[in-house]
Amino acid sequence: MARSRVRLPFTTFHPFVMSATSTSAGPSTPSRKRSRWDSEDNSPDSPPQLAQPQKRRAKSEQHQVKPQSLKATNSTPANAPPRITAQRKQQAHSIYVPPRTSHPPLMPSRSVYCYERLNSIEEGSYGVVFRARDKETGDIVALKKLKLDEEKHGFPITALREINSLMVCKHENVVGIREVVVGDTLTQVFIVMDFIEHDLKSLLTLMPSPFLQSEIKTLMLQLLSAVAHCHERWILHRDLKTSNLLMNNRGTIKVADFGLARRYGDPVGVGGLTQLVVTLWYRAPEILLGATTYSTAVDMWSVGCIFAELILKEPLFQAKGEIELLSMIFKLLGPPNSSTWPEYSSLPLAKTINLPPYHPPQLRQKFPYLTAAGIDLMSKLLTYDPEERISAEDALHHPYFSESPHPKHPDLFGSFPSVAAGEKRRKPDSPAAPIRAADYKLLTEFDLP
Amino acid sequence: MSVSLYPLATLAQIEKTPSREDGIPQNLEEDLRAYGCKLISQAGILLKQKQVAVATAQILFQRFWYVTSMKQFGIGDVGMGALYLASKLEECPLRMRDLINVYDLLLQRAAHTLSSSQHDFKYAPMSYFGNTFYDLKDALVVAEMQILKRLGFHVNVVLPYGTLVNYLRVLGLTNRSEVCTRAWGYLNDALQSPVYALYPVPTIVSAAILLTTRHYGIALPSDPENCWWELFDAEWEDVWSVCGYIMRLYRQKDPMEQMQLLTMINKKGVRQWLEENHSNSDVR
Repeated sequence: MARSRVRLPFTTFHPFVMSATSTSAGPSTPSRKRSRWDSEDNSPDSPPQLAQPQKRRAKSEQHQVKPQSLKATNSTPANAPPRITAQRKQQAHSIYVPPRTSHPPLMPSRSVYCYERLNSIEEGSYGVVFRARDKETGDIVALKKLKLDEEKHGFPITALREINSLMVCKHENVVGIREVVVGDTLTQVFIVMDFIEHDLKSLLTLMPSPFLQSEIKTLMLQLLSAVAHCHERWILHRDLKTSNLLMNNRGTIKVADFGLARRYGDPVGVGGLTQLVVTLWYRAPEILLGATTYSTAVDMWSVGCIFAELILKEPLFQAKGEIELLSMIFKLLGPPNSSTWPEYSSLPLAKTINLPPYHPPQLRQKFPYLTAAGIDLMSKLLTYDPEERISAEDALHHPYFSESPHPKHPDLFGSFPSVAAGEKRRKPDSPAAPIRAADYKLLTEFDLP
Repeated sequence: MSVSLYPLATLAQIEKTPSREDGIPQNLEEDLRAYGCKLISQAGILLKQKQVAVATAQILFQRFWYVTSMKQFGIGDVGMGALYLASKLEECPLRMRDLINVYDLLLQRAAHTLSSSQHDFKYAPMSYFGNTFYDLKDALVVAEMQILKRLGFHVNVVLPYGTLVNYLRVLGLTNRSEVCTRAWGYLNDALQSPVYALYPVPTIVSAAILLTTRHYGIALPSDPENCWWELFDAEWEDVWSVCGYIMRLYRQKDPMEQMQLLTMINKKGVRQWLEENHSNSDVR
């Protein structure tokens, strides 16, 4: 394609504006040879950290260095305040087109030696989670080591999905990913996340009295807004359960463990989705019956199970197997029929199931103290037909949340001793994610065995 | 709708890329980038891979050269790693062996062109357990990991196509299919230039529309008071610069230049070039 009318501008970057600081060097390797960061304690010669290291906001510094717009900064020193014209322009921007400065820079992974190991939180077949301290800022973080030995297909796609989902789904109620750091060899990769004191599962079992309705509403609103956020960004979580909901001491829950998460598309399930997802007790009936094109509704079923668990203080369906789970579901909600779930008979495994005789749902009997609006929300979350099941966005506006008692402000929640931080208490048993999935499951629950 | 913040190169990275730091001139670097992207695209077509994965691979490839020098990694290997990685990210993973076979073909073809032999090119498949396979496999695994590590695992990519459809609708241009096709084509061609690592998507899409409307002589509001690109939050200088990057892709290269690129698919070729061109006169 030859065109004459457009004059080619020559690139306007001149070598003389060399920025003094930010040439990105690779992560520095420590002088000690092949000292495995996670093998045992930190180097004995490192001085004990008595004083808290100075807090520094690394993020905001980067932002200052970055140009407002490529051409604007050629003449200004890198750390000069943004020019007024630029700022005025910025406000005129659509919120969907953030200014260039809010895009993150291209930055290599830092070394894991930027962190000081504290204690290990959980160890499993899929990886290890450590509590660690950022040597620069003093922040306490959770460090999850990915297991990368004997990988036949390069970097595992499940780990990629997990990292990508966490980065794409940044939200107040999703556990924050800070960065991904690497060790000495290519097989050592760690995800750095905010450290959160509790998981909801241990809290529910250990707390002397159940959550109040006002507290349940706050927790559900937080959970729903996180799930809505993920779905809006085309991410299915696929393993929502109370042990994957972390909670800090300020009444905020964070959805964690995106080890089974993946992107979905429109139309859903191109290429087929696996049925080996979601911990059994929280698994939606369409997955149990072999559907390969499930979508956001599977997460909503799990949310329904979590809602019930918050009220009951114990899991809703504590089944040992898939058949038992189905019969428990049928018992609580009444067996599905062609009006409550038109596609039921076309699901792969439907023919292998003998439906019990019809009876109406037993939700009212199961939750005698829940208001009518609460029962309504529950039945909309635990709806058989995935097409009819309520979406996270709609659930957020359900009347249950606007009726009295109103949601409690997170600051008014009590605080609890943290097991993960090593504050003593014993943890109850919790079922694991599906077997095949467990190989890939890389983010662990934050509770001690 | 939600905002997605994908990483872009910093000013310092743009001013002095690692390859230029090592003495590779800017023009040569841009040509090598474009050549690496062409290889990715050819491999994608041969593998019948989805365009979303190919585009993602090209963008990751372009980002990579803002943190790494071509003296350190070859464009062939990194392109292969980028396509492998992008296919996973777009949920359409490739078989390692398929990808390696296709890249082997592309490399052999380049070598054949260089040899200037009289015979037509004939592909000689590698043996199943041969060293070629294991060498390429090692290179692939290392390249994938290096891309991840050097980009800090920020492999989130936003593709421009949806935005283009949107903007063409706003401008009332969707009923002219030749306009849509051409703008779409500019976006695809731009994947061979570094712009996706430099500018936000709206700026690049505006540039594609600008080139297209100029080509067809379509008038759009361009008075200082209301310019159509401002509607899309793009700055004129940025849009113009993107146009420049795109148009430079079409410039005529002389055959010698073309051949030179073929010798520089791997880092060995790049190093040799550097030795030959810097031994007598140090350009830096």
